[in-house]
Amino acid sequence: MKDNLGVYIHIPFCVRKCNYCDFTSFVGVDEELKNEYIKCLLNQIRQTACGRMVGGDCGVCGEGDGIPALQGRRVDSVFFGGGTPSLLSPVQMENIMVELRRTFNLTEDCEITMEANPGTVTSWQLREYRELGVNRLSFGVQSMEAEMLAVLGRIHGEREAADSMEMARKAGFDNVNLDLMFGIPGQTQEYWQSTLRKITALAPEHISFYSLQVEEGTPIYNDIKFGRLTPLSEEDDRRMYHRGLAYLREQGYHQYEISNGAKAGRECRHNVKYWTLQEYVGLGLSAHGFVNGIRYSCDEDMTRYIKTVQRGESPVVWSHQNTLAETASEFMFTGLRLFRGVDLKEFQNRFGISAERMYAGEMAELNRFCQQGFLSIDKEEDGAFSNMRLTERGMDISNRIMALFV
Amino acid sequence: MSSYQKYIRNFSIIAHIDHGKSTLADRLLEATGCVSTREMKEQFLDNMDLERERGITIKLQTTRLVYQAKDGNEYILNLIDTPGHVDFNYEVSRSLAACEGAVLVVDATQGVEAQTLANVYLALDEDLEIVPVINKIDLLSARPEEAKAEIEEVIGIDAQDAPLISAKEGINIQDVLEAIVDRVPAPQGNPEGALKALIFDSYYDNYKGVVIYARIMDGSVKKGDTILMMNTKKKYEVTEVGVNAPGQVPVAELGTGSVGYICASIKQVSDARVGDTITLADNPADEPLPGYKKVQPMVYCGIYPAEGEKYENVKDALEKLQVNDAAFLFEPETSTALGFGFRCGFLGLLHMEIIVERLEREFDLAIITTSPSVIYRVVMTDGSVRMIQNPSNLPTPQEIDHIEEPVVKADIMLPNEYVGSIMELCQDRRGKMTHMEYLTETRVVLHYEMPLNEVIYDFFDALKSKTRGYGSLDYEFLRYERSNVVKMDVLLNKSLVDAFSMIVHESKAAARGRFVCEKLKEVIPMHQFEVPIQAAIGQKVIARETVRAYRKDVLAKCYGGDISRKRKLLEKQKEGKKRMRQFGTVEVPQEAFTAVLKYDDNK
Repeated sequence: MKDNLGVYIHIPFCVRKCNYCDFTSFVGVDEELKNEYIKCLLNQIRQTACGRMVGGDCGVCGEGDGIPALQGRRVDSVFFGGGTPSLLSPVQMENIMVELRRTFNLTEDCEITMEANPGTVTSWQLREYRELGVNRLSFGVQSMEAEMLAVLGRIHGEREAADSMEMARKAGFDNVNLDLMFGIPGQTQEYWQSTLRKITALAPEHISFYSLQVEEGTPIYNDIKFGRLTPLSEEDDRRMYHRGLAYLREQGYHQYEISNGAKAGRECRHNVKYWTLQEYVGLGLSAHGFVNGIRYSCDEDMTRYIKTVQRGESPVVWSHQNTLAETASEFMFTGLRLFRGVDLKEFQNRFGISAERMYAGEMAELNRFCQQGFLSIDKEEDGAFSNMRLTERGMDISNRIMALFV
Repeated sequence: MSSYQKYIRNFSIIAHIDHGKSTLADRLLEATGCVSTREMKEQFLDNMDLERERGITIKLQTTRLVYQAKDGNEYILNLIDTPGHVDFNYEVSRSLAACEGAVLVVDATQGVEAQTLANVYLALDEDLEIVPVINKIDLLSARPEEAKAEIEEVIGIDAQDAPLISAKEGINIQDVLEAIVDRVPAPQGNPEGALKALIFDSYYDNYKGVVIYARIMDGSVKKGDTILMMNTKKKYEVTEVGVNAPGQVPVAELGTGSVGYICASIKQVSDARVGDTITLADNPADEPLPGYKKVQPMVYCGIYPAEGEKYENVKDALEKLQVNDAAFLFEPETSTALGFGFRCGFLGLLHMEIIVERLEREFDLAIITTSPSVIYRVVMTDGSVRMIQNPSNLPTPQEIDHIEEPVVKADIMLPNEYVGSIMELCQDRRGKMTHMEYLTETRVVLHYEMPLNEVIYDFFDALKSKTRGYGSLDYEFLRYERSNVVKMDVLLNKSLVDAFSMIVHESKAAARGRFVCEKLKEVIPMHQFEVPIQAAIGQKVIARETVRAYRKDVLAKCYGGDISRKRKLLEKQKEGKKRMRQFGTVEVPQEAFTAVLKYDDNK
């Protein structure tokens, strides 16, 4: 019996591009193109069903390219990411949901998440989404301070965040995530504390909080480069992180991943799949997937994506069959993002070799990280490793430690 | 003199580094039909990539040209090329000793330079006929008359009839060949006498063993003869004699006055040293030719395998290089910081750079070189003397009575407008001016006595930079002088990294220490903790910098399950780390070792 599958669907449309965003999304797209894109998504779902995910011809369904037909596979998480998926009309959403249910076997408790921007949703819309089966919302609130929202180039204010939350509750959503951002140029510890207080007051089930990452080519990158904005020091950034962790913990949010905390039982199932080597299908522009040990990604070019799919061909432009060593390294570096760490007995079962043997060459360094308090390793009575996890301080420098496993 | 001796001309070409020596040599080959234009590149020049790239001749090449002169006779012109750098002065002098004449190439746009002058003096010491040639007359900025006047004024030889040529454009090359025939004397020597052959070059060939290039002064040599090296006393049986035409062509015999190669199954270049005299074992000459010296390295540095490189690979490569280079020495040493490696001796900085570059390029090795050092003469309190070339081996101050450092005689030639800034530079490098000469109204030679230690770091770069490339330097060892030098150590995170230790003059220690700390601060990456960088003399810290600790290295968002992006980022990070060398808890990039040596214009 195969494990349950996850499905990621990318909706690359936005009202306006945020100052820090380097994801694939488009602003000011007309309904016609949107509809065209939805049609392609439906096509790609059907392709996936017959195993035509990674290039090549259809031929006999399920043959050819290493990806099995996924028709009827059990799916227990669907994630609509963006972009701004809430820019889809309920009708467009319905088309996608119908196709998903026709193709896959969505489990009874399937987690169906939709990202949304405060200010882009109406009560009516949310009710419709809920009715279509969406049962989790993720609002990109980012900050509750107008000044910070302006720096980020967000289209909403503090009010809209609270309003959206209220609408969500009224529409019947009992599982809501709010996304936050810290380390914003000009942000003070007080601003951050205040945002945290206001957010927890809204009582979402899940809170994500990310340190602002300045990507080359984004407006915020140029603002910093030309001195219009002063980046926060690493010290301030880390102080915000650790204070945030402590505060959220106090408020009953259990930290399960570097940037994610949730009320008991409300961890994001879909996200955890990424960190535990579970399979997921990626659909839509620039979406990534991992099926049958193959990692792949779809075309990032909208015109090409549409044309390819219209021709009945696969929009997958890159795929890679993981070697055992690669999969093992992913097991380590993705698993370390989780506070519970990586289960090294599972490692042994999965790869037929103990982690301490596989990474013998890195042991000296790993031990040093342990001594310095960045890493923690549990051992069995016979000395075999059973668990490895980053400490709270280790989270700050996770890349350094993860790099040992690639 | 036998009749054929009359038709031999043995000559060298003397020129400043980029004044067109190699180009002229190529033109001469072409003009005498030895090499077709098409073959030119691949055959003659391609000997050593490094030479071509740097535009300098490192290793000597000798070629036999056959020239039909205007007087109707056919002449054999032996071109003995000389290395063009101060590090190889001895080789130059031996090559010149094998000639009767020298073509002096002077750049019509730049005039006479220190290096040229130094070689002219070497040539005059050997009683060579100097044939001046003015090159680069095709350039707009050429001032041939001024160049001629300068030659007459500076060197004191008649230059009125000097051929005006462009080696690059092939203009008037014939004039050079005629001048050689007319002005260079035919070789003297007694064909009936006991063999005396001067070794002026040798290199190792995988098939033939050592190939010796020699000038036959008296007598003759042929295959089957048993030869004796008069200085090293070693005996060999000759397996082949021949000439470079170019390309080795065996001949029956090398007679008096001729130049050619000799093979005798010799395993090491050091057994056929430049300057040694070859004679016949059963009919030896009374005494060797004058001028033999066993060349001694003047500059030392450590060469260590970099992270991931095998010690054995480095050792093999060094051995291979040594077979071919009698002036290059190495012996194993260990450094607490760098592990097992080698202490290597070189003629000078250029020689060192060449060897290091060859190790990296020809042998594809990843190596770390430590600060170059000269040899200090350490007089101990008990009166004994130790020669120290590795700063780490310097005895403790309590055991030392005093230290002496090598001082060189440095001649710096430059346009007069730079005199002020160069005198300042020399003073800063503890130089003592002995005198100053105006060669012409605008051309000056500064004569200095300067510690070699100050010359080897970055003096040459500084000189070039401050004179916009017009200054040139020539130096030779003078004597050991008592000096107030101290060992300066570098501590990273409080622990000493011996590979950075250097011996400096007390008066320069503070500035040097600051410089080294600043440079290291630039190249050492942030760690999880603060890394203090200190320069210290004994227990006393004289300079300090700190590399801040990084607080954060986390990719917060990993969007939409894009694990491959995350992997790439981590791989890049790992790759960067591989180029690091771990010293205790501190990671130091390889470039740190060269960074602390670089000349900085702003200093």
